[in-house]
Amino acid sequence: MKNLRVARRYAGALMDIAEAGKTIDRTAGDLETIASALRGSRELWLLTQSPVVSPVKKAAVFRAVFVARVGEGTMKFIDLVIAKQREKHLPEIVEQFSLLRDEKMGIVSVSVTSAVEFTPSQEKDLGSELERYTKKKVRIRITVDKAIKAGLVVRIGDTVLDASMRRQLELLKARFLEGGPSTN
Amino acid sequence: MEEVRPDEVSEILRKQLSGFEKEVDVYDVGTVLQIGDGVARVYGLSHAMMSELVEFPHGVFGMVLNLEEDNVGCILFGESREISEGDTVKRIGRVASMPVGEQMLGRVVNPLGQPIDGRGPVKTEKLSPIERKALGVIQRQPVKEPLQTGLKAVDGMIPIGRGQRELIIGDRQTGKTAIALDTIINQKYSHTERAKREGVKPVYCIYVAVGQKSSTVAQVVDKLQQEGAMEYTTIIAATAADPAPMQFIAPYSGATLGEYFRDSGRHALVVYDDLTKQAQAYRQVSLLLRRPPGREAYPGDIFYLHSRLLERASKLSDELGGGSLTALPVIETQAGDVSAYIPTNVISITDGQIYLEPGMFNSGIRPAINVGISVSRVGGNAQIKAMKKVAGSLRIDLAQYRELEAFAKFGSDLDKSTLAQLRRGSRLVELLKQGQFVPMPVEKQVVSLFAGTNGFLDEVPLEHVARFERELLELMDLKYADLLGSISGTKDLGTDIAQRLKDVLRQFTDSFKAAIKA
Repeated sequence: MKNLRVARRYAGALMDIAEAGKTIDRTAGDLETIASALRGSRELWLLTQSPVVSPVKKAAVFRAVFVARVGEGTMKFIDLVIAKQREKHLPEIVEQFSLLRDEKMGIVSVSVTSAVEFTPSQEKDLGSELERYTKKKVRIRITVDKAIKAGLVVRIGDTVLDASMRRQLELLKARFLEGGPSTN
Repeated sequence: MEEVRPDEVSEILRKQLSGFEKEVDVYDVGTVLQIGDGVARVYGLSHAMMSELVEFPHGVFGMVLNLEEDNVGCILFGESREISEGDTVKRIGRVASMPVGEQMLGRVVNPLGQPIDGRGPVKTEKLSPIERKALGVIQRQPVKEPLQTGLKAVDGMIPIGRGQRELIIGDRQTGKTAIALDTIINQKYSHTERAKREGVKPVYCIYVAVGQKSSTVAQVVDKLQQEGAMEYTTIIAATAADPAPMQFIAPYSGATLGEYFRDSGRHALVVYDDLTKQAQAYRQVSLLLRRPPGREAYPGDIFYLHSRLLERASKLSDELGGGSLTALPVIETQAGDVSAYIPTNVISITDGQIYLEPGMFNSGIRPAINVGISVSRVGGNAQIKAMKKVAGSLRIDLAQYRELEAFAKFGSDLDKSTLAQLRRGSRLVELLKQGQFVPMPVEKQVVSLFAGTNGFLDEVPLEHVARFERELLELMDLKYADLLGSISGTKDLGTDIAQRLKDVLRQFTDSFKAAIKA
């Protein structure tokens, strides 16, 4: 919860700079490079988490690894994050940055849970239908979950459109209980 | 047994299902970040409203109490043990509400309106939000009708009007709840045919038990049932075992139910027993939600917590039906300390207080009301004329008695008038004693107090005062019911009635004196 607030601040500041310099896409790419490096290398990740290694050394390591791969602005940003001893939160910062970027570009990410596998054409239909519903561009992530029995569950941000059989059965059960004798 | 045909079953099912099909169910969700101690932090729920109900897994409900930059603070009305981090929280889409209606009468419910008396569901039609803004100036009128408590000491000297807020304050074990219960039991009279003839409207009662032992609540229910008072009473219980959030909202649920009666032109009485515990429950919840602590670690809005609750007590204007909601909040003090935070707050909010003292209680003066510092700031207008006439000198007589009593203990050489005042005072104190669960109708109170303030008791030995009163009232019932009837009918004590009463008392006093000598 606390990290989220920190991550949002740093991501917001970076976004302001990137927007001013019109380098949003490049910065996003840079950040993705760093995030994947952190995911890929356990040593690097441990380095960010360790309170023992001094910030100066950490900054040197990051500069050595990334200076050729990312832009100068991003490099400066990493230096700042390390100087402020917030390098622990780098993955969250990257995540928040991509959320901010989506917001700026009018993209919403939608997660869809379905009981059966989608065909490509169905997926396309669903995408265009959701774009019409949200009036925004959508990025769909589909997962298959047999537990919902039939239908599909669409989650857009905090709002859930639940058209699953599981939910229908839950509602039906609640309705039967309401009319029945008290359990008290 | 006749067999059930398949078509019957499917027919029933079809009926149950008709109008049920809802293609897509839309709801908002969040994720539990942190849970414990009856509060939860939830991420998401971005459209949640303040004091909205939310549903956790396993059927546990919660209420939104904090809306922050990146999370929502909720209080839980159930066990938090089964809920874990990462669980999904659903918005219900309505603020915390209480079902209201006549069906609530005679029931014991929890602060969410769910029955806990094992007598099946309560079938009400209306839901009312538990937090409502109190009415404004235009909708109100001054308190003008009496709410009879049936206690001589209260009705005589600290009268309570319908729509008033009168605080009952005192240490533990001084009879605070007893006064509240007597008042509820005494409202039975207002539901009779006779009261209807005399123009006394029925009073519906709500007893809110906050943070009490379940056994105490069971005792209260039992007592009210025995006295036949449950027919017009609802008990809202959040016992010591219930989660603090439940205890915190209980008084608001009570006020909501009371407002239902008030807004339909009827009269309601709601007892909050007690607000000290509610304040403590709120303090717990607030501290867990990390709101900054203030004096005695209570949050900054603890005054508003009680003032917005008690402001809901009111007497409506005639255009709105003239209903009323009377509030009797109870506050427990520690070792008589009325200058603690919560007691001073509630004293300043209410229209007066009944102060109970352990010293008086232990010396046998029950109800142990200290009439010197108990006041009613508006009830005087609501006293019936007859009571006003007989009780006028009561306060002064008692005040003088207390002043003299202290120093009369030292000297024995007292002049005649001092002795007379002492004698009068001691008789009045004796007369104001009253047993528990025996509320007295107002006309009888008038007769009793009339005898006391007019000096008919001065010659009666102290130990016989109770017997004097008992026999006098028996005599009135048997022989002079017309006198009692005209007092309660006209609500006044005309000069001719006063004269007749004096004659009766003179005769009775003489025969009584002769009887105790024999």
